[in-house]
Amino acid sequence: MGEFKVHRVRFFNYVPSGIRCVAYNNQSNRLAVSRTDGTVEVYNLSANYFQEKFFPGHESRATEALCWAEGQRLFSAGLNGEIMEYDLQALNIKYAVDVFGGPIWSMAVSPSGSQLLVGCEDGSVKLFQITPDKIQFERNFDRQKSRILSLSWHPSGTHVAAGSIDYISVFDVKSGSAIHKMIVDRQHMGVSKRKCIVWGVAFLSDGTVISVDSAGKVQFWDSATGTLVKSHLIANADVQSIAVAERRLISCSKKRQLLLFQFAHHLELWRLGSTVATGKNGDTLPLSKNADHLLHLKTKGPENIICSCISPCGSWIACSTVSRFFLYRLNYEHDNISLKRVSKMPPFLRCALQILFSEDSTKLFVASNQGALHIVQLSGGSFKHLHAFQPQSGTVEAMCLLAVSSDGNWLAASGTSAGVHVYNVKQLKLHCTVPAYNFPVTAMAIAPNTNNLVIAHSDQQVFEYSIPDKQYTDWSRTVQKQGFHHLWLQRDTPITHISFHPKRPMHILLHDAYMFCIIDKSLPLPNDKTLLYNPFPPTNESDVVRRRTAHAFKISKIYKPLLFMDLLDERTLVAVERPLDDIIAQLPPPIKKKKFGT
Amino acid sequence: MVSDQKPLGSWSVKQGQIITCPAVCNFQTREYIVVHDNKVLRIWNNEDVNLDKVFKATLSAEVYRILSVQGTEPLVLFKEGAVRGLEALLADPQQKIETVISDEEVIKWTKFFIVFRHPVLIFITEKHGNYFAYVQMFNSRILTKYTLLLGQDENSVIESFTASVDRKFISLMSLSSDGCIYETLIPIRPTDPEKNQTLVRSLLLKAVVSGNTRNGVALTALDQDHIAVLGSPQAASKECLSVWNIKFQTLQTSKELPQGTSGQLWYYGENLFMLHGKSLTVIPYKCEVSSLAGALGKLKHGQDPGTHVMPRFVNWETPQGCGLGFQNSEQSRRIEDSEKHIEVEVRKFLALKQTPDFHTVIGDTVTGLLERCKAEPSFYPRNCLMQLIQTHVLSYSLCPDLMEIALIKKDVQLLQLCLQQFPDIPESVTCACLKIFLSIGDDSLQETDVSMESVFDYSNSVHDEKMEEQTEILQNGFSPEEDKCSNCDQELNKKPQDETKESTSCPVVPKRAALLNAILHSAYSETFLLPHLKDIPAQHITLFLKYLYFLYLKCSENATMTLPGIHPPTLNQIMDWICLLLDANFTVVVMMPEAKRLLINLYKLVKSQISVYSELNKIEVSFRELQKLNQEKNNRGLYSIEVLELF
Repeated sequence: MGEFKVHRVRFFNYVPSGIRCVAYNNQSNRLAVSRTDGTVEVYNLSANYFQEKFFPGHESRATEALCWAEGQRLFSAGLNGEIMEYDLQALNIKYAVDVFGGPIWSMAVSPSGSQLLVGCEDGSVKLFQITPDKIQFERNFDRQKSRILSLSWHPSGTHVAAGSIDYISVFDVKSGSAIHKMIVDRQHMGVSKRKCIVWGVAFLSDGTVISVDSAGKVQFWDSATGTLVKSHLIANADVQSIAVAERRLISCSKKRQLLLFQFAHHLELWRLGSTVATGKNGDTLPLSKNADHLLHLKTKGPENIICSCISPCGSWIACSTVSRFFLYRLNYEHDNISLKRVSKMPPFLRCALQILFSEDSTKLFVASNQGALHIVQLSGGSFKHLHAFQPQSGTVEAMCLLAVSSDGNWLAASGTSAGVHVYNVKQLKLHCTVPAYNFPVTAMAIAPNTNNLVIAHSDQQVFEYSIPDKQYTDWSRTVQKQGFHHLWLQRDTPITHISFHPKRPMHILLHDAYMFCIIDKSLPLPNDKTLLYNPFPPTNESDVVRRRTAHAFKISKIYKPLLFMDLLDERTLVAVERPLDDIIAQLPPPIKKKKFGT
Repeated sequence: MVSDQKPLGSWSVKQGQIITCPAVCNFQTREYIVVHDNKVLRIWNNEDVNLDKVFKATLSAEVYRILSVQGTEPLVLFKEGAVRGLEALLADPQQKIETVISDEEVIKWTKFFIVFRHPVLIFITEKHGNYFAYVQMFNSRILTKYTLLLGQDENSVIESFTASVDRKFISLMSLSSDGCIYETLIPIRPTDPEKNQTLVRSLLLKAVVSGNTRNGVALTALDQDHIAVLGSPQAASKECLSVWNIKFQTLQTSKELPQGTSGQLWYYGENLFMLHGKSLTVIPYKCEVSSLAGALGKLKHGQDPGTHVMPRFVNWETPQGCGLGFQNSEQSRRIEDSEKHIEVEVRKFLALKQTPDFHTVIGDTVTGLLERCKAEPSFYPRNCLMQLIQTHVLSYSLCPDLMEIALIKKDVQLLQLCLQQFPDIPESVTCACLKIFLSIGDDSLQETDVSMESVFDYSNSVHDEKMEEQTEILQNGFSPEEDKCSNCDQELNKKPQDETKESTSCPVVPKRAALLNAILHSAYSETFLLPHLKDIPAQHITLFLKYLYFLYLKCSENATMTLPGIHPPTLNQIMDWICLLLDANFTVVVMMPEAKRLLINLYKLVKSQISVYSELNKIEVSFRELQKLNQEKNNRGLYSIEVLELF
């Protein structure tokens, strides 16, 4: 079936940023997550928890609160004192409003979804009206002594509870006056004179306010009388959550065997090692040359890198932040590398969501956040803008996945919800649109020679669409008719990369975080009774048995968690792993909790 | 007491003006209405700050009260007895107000009801010691006047009124200066409105308050069967609030108010409000459905309102005016009956199963039953308690009295059940159970019906607890006779038949074994258990040790070191208890000649255990080395090139 030398890379020192806050939208079943680096991600929980959208972070923006308002609008507020609204279509920040109250610690949307309340450092609680295209300041509530760390609306929208330092206030929304002030006991187990910070409040429909504070108490208050009803002391502990981003952070240059790693504020270029030895399955080969760290490229400014790419020839590196696009030319002289930045980028190349080089490295494809796709001709040390495919009128949906055919004639682009558009690069026009599917695209690639577009969706379905014929291929129809193996559909991580073998047109190589698979289209498909994954190599089975049990899905689960896997040449693969233990080792130690009197 | 008393709003009239009628809330418009200087009406709402600037209407006659209830517009009752709707009055504030009552007649009290969605107003007037009741129907605009006859005691003065209403009558209750409560029934629909009718009052409760207190006397009806009275029960005593059941003539509850009250008492939405000293006191009080059981105190008083236990008791119909009582001679029969009755009711309730408040109801029922158990020693609803324990929702901390009572009654079956079901039994109680389990006579054990689940087959066991002879077996590398394990095989060959027979003899009867197993299964903390173990008599300690040793031998009979049976004690539990008992009582046991053989056996047991564990340690070390080798093989560092073949 196939024997490969695998470059097993574990030196991608990537640590996902911690999660600061989350907001769940009940109607659309989406979860917005903000990280400590300011990145905001939107996960579609219906589509297999797929990370659907993402907004790059910014050093000065520490998001403290996220909320969804009516009409699926996402707002965030943070320590820079601004409320921001995110454009979920164009994937950029719609606007930012300074609330003039110092850093914002908390934010809550009214039960009706039409009003926004923020709690600020200076003790003010400010009410904003959400208008169809912006937000408008309405009024200030009675100013409190210290910062407002938590807010909660009464389900009827008439009252608001606000947690501050050492006390909780209850406001009447209509008059904006504080009707009760409930003092939280500072004492913790009889000692401690530190301030008691009310980290969270919840207002129940019966008027009960529940608070949690830094002394580890959960308290129940009666908001009508302002009295403490019940108090529970609990040992509180922080929850550390880990979620590895599914974005493409790695690209590779096949020709020069280079790997480009993307971090929040810098890029790293590594050259893979080599070996002359051969071996049998499972062997680790002695290295004749180890992997080298060639380059450490730091971006200036507070903005995080959105995307990056190295060209297949290894001579170009492109990357983009929210406001700037960078293109570098690399020159190799034996072991020396020189880097030259291509200056004077055109103004339209400002913010890219995805960058891709053509196979021959002569063309650069850039998906901008305005929904346009730019084609740039690269030659020598310069570039020329060839064309821009504008989004169809009326839509502003940003494209975040690109694929180009090996002959460079076809370009496929996919947004977060609508179908995949295929453009003819030679004639510079839209060729066709693959019918839209219910679940977002997680990976796609165009096969060489046949120009079949293979698309993987978040519900684990894989389609093959013939671009020249503008229809699904027979194999794809057969697969759909028979259905995938139930274990294949039960996998919980999406396919993140698809590639093809140059010499074996029947093979599709794809992987998710926990497995690598070669689909051999010439073999029969497995049904639910057959064993999908067999970790043991056949030993002395007869050829008859092997042929009978052989099926199209050849799976390997050796490498995990797998961030990236691609074919370098016919017989060589590169696999980038990020062992969880290495990430955990870099996390702060968890709070140890002693249970019972042992 | 309402802590942190803070008004949500407060308004005052100008200096010189006097509020002459309590402010009321107009529930329809959410406005407040007050009258000052008898004739000036003010209406305002929450947003208004200055009472002087709010709506004002000066009326042509003096106002007695403004009455407001939910669901209808407020009424204004004038001192001359005329009544107007607020809106009609505001339309023309200066309209002429007619005089209804005669000269020198003074309104004493008034109340406003809604009967069948129609407002009904009642007010009481007094003239020269005679009392008159006026009932105003608003749907028919009929005003009926009644003369109240005071009956025998013509000289008494009525101090306070209250009224409740049912379908046909307004029940007017009055507290007289003689300390008695009288009831007068006033028909809602008058038979002949034109004629002046008389009403006779009947005695309802005698000597509720002391006859000579004048201040702070008030009463209010809570529901048809209950009234709350504020006042001093005896001449010298402090003032108190008491709730009476008028149907059964019993005092339901009473609370002393040492700081004195002002004779004002209100009841709204299951809360009693009164002035106590300088503060407003709110006492939540929900009337239970009046039942004989409740009136006789069979149910716990002051039980959490909202429990559903009360209504589950049958409400025996009693004639009105029935006295306080049952004869003492009937008591024991009644207890038996009530035990049976409670059992039936509990079974009925358990059959219904999971109501949302199932936990609280079970908890309240048990506390109620135990309360009564403590009060009446002959009352012990055993079956009922067993059923309740088996609901799995009880715990020791929820009803500590339960095990206490079972310990007093030496009810080993109930104790076993508690040990099996409760996760939080304190060590002292566990130890008390152990004492009883070890000391209870075989005869009394024979009568009990303990669960034998944890005990394996005793067909060969000998029921002689004095049995001293112990056995030797040779399993799992252990030989009590032999010091050296290397000789095990030899030993085994020597007398195999003897051993198999002897090892099966148990030092305790199966029922006691089952009880002791319950102890073994219970959770404990060594530090807290040890001191209590010292209190157990030495012969019981040896008996228990023998039993544990027997269990250990049983354990060693098979390779998995487990006992047969559904829920047997584990080897760890057995070993821990052996250690605990020896730790706590070592000096005592050492001094006992009859325990000598047992101690020798135990010593050998420990010795053999040590050798087994040292062997196990050796094996563990070897395995760890192997694991290390394996790990080194798997650890490939940051970068490697490997060969992968897909099949």
